[in-house]
Amino acid sequence: MAQEKLRRFLDGGISVFVGTVDAEGVPTCCRGIAVDSKDDFDSITVYLPAATAGETVANLATTRRIAVALTEPLSHDSIQIKGVTRGVKLAPAHDREFVAQRLEAFAERLGSFGLPRNLTRTLNHWPAFAIEVSVEQVFDQTPGPKAGVELR
Amino acid sequence: MKLTQISRCFQGVIPSLLASADANGMPNVTYVSQIHLIDDTHVALSCQFFNKTRRNLDQNPNATVEVYDPLTMQAYRLRLRFLRSEKSGPLFDSMAMRIQAIASHTGMEGVFRLIAADIFEVVRAEEVENFLIETAEPQPHEEISVTGLRTELRGLQLVSERINRADDLETLLAAALDALDVYFGFEHTFVLLLDDLTQRLVTIACRGYGGGVGAEVAIGEGVIGTVAREKRVLRLNALKEGLRYGQAVRRSMMDSGTFSIRPEIPLPGLPDAQSAIVLPLMIEDRLVGALAAESRDPVAFREWDEAYLEIIANQIALGIDRVSQLDDTMSRPAAEVRIAPPPAPIAVPVPSKRHTFTYYRDDDAVFLDNEYLIRNVPGRILWKLLGDFKTQGRTAFTNRELRLDRSLGLPEIKDNLESRLILLRHRLREKCPAVQIHSTGRGKFALEIGADVDLVER
Repeated sequence: MAQEKLRRFLDGGISVFVGTVDAEGVPTCCRGIAVDSKDDFDSITVYLPAATAGETVANLATTRRIAVALTEPLSHDSIQIKGVTRGVKLAPAHDREFVAQRLEAFAERLGSFGLPRNLTRTLNHWPAFAIEVSVEQVFDQTPGPKAGVELR
Repeated sequence: MKLTQISRCFQGVIPSLLASADANGMPNVTYVSQIHLIDDTHVALSCQFFNKTRRNLDQNPNATVEVYDPLTMQAYRLRLRFLRSEKSGPLFDSMAMRIQAIASHTGMEGVFRLIAADIFEVVRAEEVENFLIETAEPQPHEEISVTGLRTELRGLQLVSERINRADDLETLLAAALDALDVYFGFEHTFVLLLDDLTQRLVTIACRGYGGGVGAEVAIGEGVIGTVAREKRVLRLNALKEGLRYGQAVRRSMMDSGTFSIRPEIPLPGLPDAQSAIVLPLMIEDRLVGALAAESRDPVAFREWDEAYLEIIANQIALGIDRVSQLDDTMSRPAAEVRIAPPPAPIAVPVPSKRHTFTYYRDDDAVFLDNEYLIRNVPGRILWKLLGDFKTQGRTAFTNRELRLDRSLGLPEIKDNLESRLILLRHRLREKCPAVQIHSTGRGKFALEIGADVDLVER
């Protein structure tokens, strides 16, 4: 059941948020564009715009700790993934189409409840960093009394 | 960068990101439906659940939020330091009211509530560079022009003039809503008046909706009922976003099976409203009603709109008081005054239709041909008028005789008779064109019947 819920977040049209922390314990956040998993959430790849992810990547180089929140913008259904960074690289050219598709799906989703699609399409998304994350914990983060319940 | 320069980011249209970290350096990131701007160096977050973010802040006061301009999508990062939690005071009350309104709309009053307003110092605020790509398309922007301000100030004068000129409630409310549309561009507005007997607000005038007069809301229910109970203005931008958030909590609570939740109360007005403002109509500290405006624009109502709408709401409230006193003076009988005999019947046209009016005593409601028409005092007034017509052939009536008729149950003071007659007139106009009530002068009116009428009492 939990696994099914997780898989739905790979379909696109979702918000991707990343949280990291520096060596002094000061956290920062960054909006991501896409997320993918080829091994059923044992690990994930998060795509962050290179233009805005400098501080996040610097934090990962020192502390490696990462939190990734995925939210369905219409229903607010959300999960949060906590893990450790395996590696950070500039996303290869063949990932560009996937990232662009995910941005388009997000624009479509927000457009369905009134936010102009052209506005969402102006989000900087390429070049992107591909962050490889070993998943340690997954939590339900849908607002309400079950927020914080560990899904796996 | 001054936070007031990016005040649009704090209207709750696009949820913000919030990153915190625990004492061991494990980050947490979540979205926040609204960040409240306090001043150029302070913001507040609403604490509704004791969640991970809240626990982290007790261990590590550092946090970062990313907020978004709803018109351009530009992002700004604010470096925050948690200062304190407030559980009372003006800021808490203002944040709690928005949450209460959404909770009430989603049937979760008392369950989904503000625990605390968490106050943060903004250590640094910066634009996220290159967050957006260059685009050839011009971006929408919003400016308040001097011409606009002048128009609105002139509009205020004109609204006041029209309200002051009106000598009956119906003209006053129609003039006020017309002026709000013409001078301020608020196309969807309505006024509700408090019925002291039932403690419900009844819609008495509407503009921009295909009906709605007679719609009721109890004190404390929904956005309008919350405003009436708290006697405070409520401005809700990104209404759908707020309600969606509330609905997510509701679903989660129902799934958990530990809460019993009432059915949702339908939002009165536009089905696709994106923003709303509701103002209490007050005479000193007495609530007389509410003025509501809605828009499909998620950021239609700004602080400036709130300021001048408050002035207009005051004008409307004073106007309501003035015309009701006028009506009282003209038509309330003094103890020694002898009541004149009822006016003679006037000829009515030969009817070609037949309608059955049924009064249900237990429900205190009148039905027209098996369809609900009206209830409570306006229903009893209609029943009296129709009864007098059937038994005596009367068509001319006075407010004075209604006030004397104990069976109608009008309160001794502040009886709102005129608003009850307006409601009755609207309902008949909407549902039964063959039976109409027309004013024939101050404190007088006539019943015009163009149908055969059967009366049934159950």
